[in-house]
Amino acid sequence: MSAFSSAETALAGAEAGAGAGPDARLAQAARDRRELMRESARRSLGRRRMTGRVMQVICLIALPVGLAPVVALVYTTIANGAGAVNIGFLVHAPTPPGIPGGGISTAIVGSAEIIGIAMAMAIPIGLFIALFLFERRGRIAASIRFSADVMSGVPSIIIGIFAYSVLVETFHHFSNLAAGFAIGVLMLPIMVRADEEAMRTVALELWEAGVSLGARRSRVARSIVLRGALPGVVAGNLLAIARGVGETAPLLFTLASPTFAMTLLIFNDATQPFPAAQQTAWGTALVLLVFVLTLSVAARAVAWALNRKAR
Amino acid sequence: MTDPVDPSALLTTDPSRRPGEGSGRGGPPGGPAPSWRKDRILPSSPFYAIVRWGGAGLFAALLIGLVISIVSGSSQAFSHSGMGFLWSGTWNPAGGDYAAGTLLVGTVLTTFVAMVIVVPVGLGVSVSLTELAPKWLAGPLGTVIEFLAAVPSIVVGLWALLVLSPVFAAHVEPFLEGLPLLGHLFHGPAYGPSILLASVVLAIMTLPTVVTLSRSALGGVPLADREAAMALGATHWEVIRRTVLPGARAGIAAAITLAVGRALGESIAVAMVIGNRPAVPHSLLAPGATLGSAIVNQFAESTPGLGTSSVIALAGVLLLLTILVNVFGQVLVRGRDARRAVRVGGVPA
Repeated sequence: MSAFSSAETALAGAEAGAGAGPDARLAQAARDRRELMRESARRSLGRRRMTGRVMQVICLIALPVGLAPVVALVYTTIANGAGAVNIGFLVHAPTPPGIPGGGISTAIVGSAEIIGIAMAMAIPIGLFIALFLFERRGRIAASIRFSADVMSGVPSIIIGIFAYSVLVETFHHFSNLAAGFAIGVLMLPIMVRADEEAMRTVALELWEAGVSLGARRSRVARSIVLRGALPGVVAGNLLAIARGVGETAPLLFTLASPTFAMTLLIFNDATQPFPAAQQTAWGTALVLLVFVLTLSVAARAVAWALNRKAR
Repeated sequence: MTDPVDPSALLTTDPSRRPGEGSGRGGPPGGPAPSWRKDRILPSSPFYAIVRWGGAGLFAALLIGLVISIVSGSSQAFSHSGMGFLWSGTWNPAGGDYAAGTLLVGTVLTTFVAMVIVVPVGLGVSVSLTELAPKWLAGPLGTVIEFLAAVPSIVVGLWALLVLSPVFAAHVEPFLEGLPLLGHLFHGPAYGPSILLASVVLAIMTLPTVVTLSRSALGGVPLADREAAMALGATHWEVIRRTVLPGARAGIAAAITLAVGRALGESIAVAMVIGNRPAVPHSLLAPGATLGSAIVNQFAESTPGLGTSSVIALAGVLLLLTILVNVFGQVLVRGRDARRAVRVGGVPA
């Protein structure tokens, strides 16, 4: 390194016109060396660029591989389901296998009931827990936050078993209430985290302004924190509801009949060998997919609209 | 609406408390610990406190209730088989054998194969979306992948059972059997429903988890790091390979861990495509069973008493497994956030 830099100095001297002698030899050596480095850099740069190109192409190949399942799934669901869905399909009750003219009205009503019960339970409780996390620092809040994060990763089937042993075993019958409870427990941790994240976006100065006006904590929470967090709260809860509507496993242990929820109806009909049943499953899947997609889009739209209004 | 504040209370400060000594009470939410006592300066209502503490209490009760119900429900199975329930024997209710061993093998195997598929694809997609694709393309494509997360698992299962499974039986599985070196992984008749198909379904379902979390990790690598690498003469790929990927390592690890947690616990879609044969599979094309798929299939048929208790014990094993993985994943996520906070704060590493 130091030899090189002394050569560089010599080179500068040589170029300034110092003439022959040891300085000139050194300058020539430096020139040779610089040329050598340029040459090897040029060669290795070609190789490095080539490696980069190849790796980038490999990464870009992953893109269609990852996208293909989504596209294929949505396409086949629409292609197979569109033939099954009509007004009669939506308003008629299911018929036994082999009898035509059946619909999925009981499943749509049942799904609506279940998600209604779950929402009535999870939305207010989720807000209360989020307010607790918002107002309080320290170990209790941190551990609740941590367990909410861990709990949102607990498999839905285990929540189903929990609801089974709490409600079904105790009261000796399967019910929409038990199913709603299971879905509510499932949505709760997602809602808590979304609500709290939304509350954290409210400026601290606004909170301080509310307090400085002499308002109670509850009034500040209601009129400043909740109002400011509303777009995020609505969006987060809608996404949680979209996830709750699509759950199947908890209903397996809590629902009295597979015709009482769209997801369970799909599970039941898909595993039957009759083409008519499979057709019903595709139709129900399309209805469910449209519903879930609408909820996801609505979540973004609501957040966007409320955000704009707030400004 | 609001209560009048006693003015003398506003003037009272408690000198025994200093900033930074917060016990977690009072003060601006998320702000520094207060130097004053909340109950003196902030008028509060008992109703609001009851609501907040009630919510927190309810959540704790739910968690404890969940664990207690699973533990007490599975006690009969564990007292019947002992800890051997975890590894010995096979699941054969007709013969009175209840054990999770083969199901554990199936669960770990499907999850592992799913990760072998999803990690390279997910990383490739994330790198493409954050580093390679133009913005106008990356945004919509990212939304499409995230849309996959909103698709209900039952719809994925339906599609896999009625569309993917025949394709696998007719084309993919015979092709894999013909591969020169990997052929012995894929032998036996090509049914369609198999460990391999279940793994592919899990890979599809965990892809949005991997992509969403890795994208945010890759996007979080500071611009200055990239510029430093470029200034040293690194090519575009070398910047990605030597700077961006190492910088996002913790976030990518968290993404993979959380995807593993999701794959372990997925039950309904797996139950539809795995073939449900509780035995140690001899090949990836053989039907198998996982903890989740066994719970789905055995619960309705289980005999009251020991049978039901054994199914709940399976749920207990699964709960333990997923909690371990998720706690690890959350610790990784939090560790990454903490480290980033230090970096933003300007503290040299």
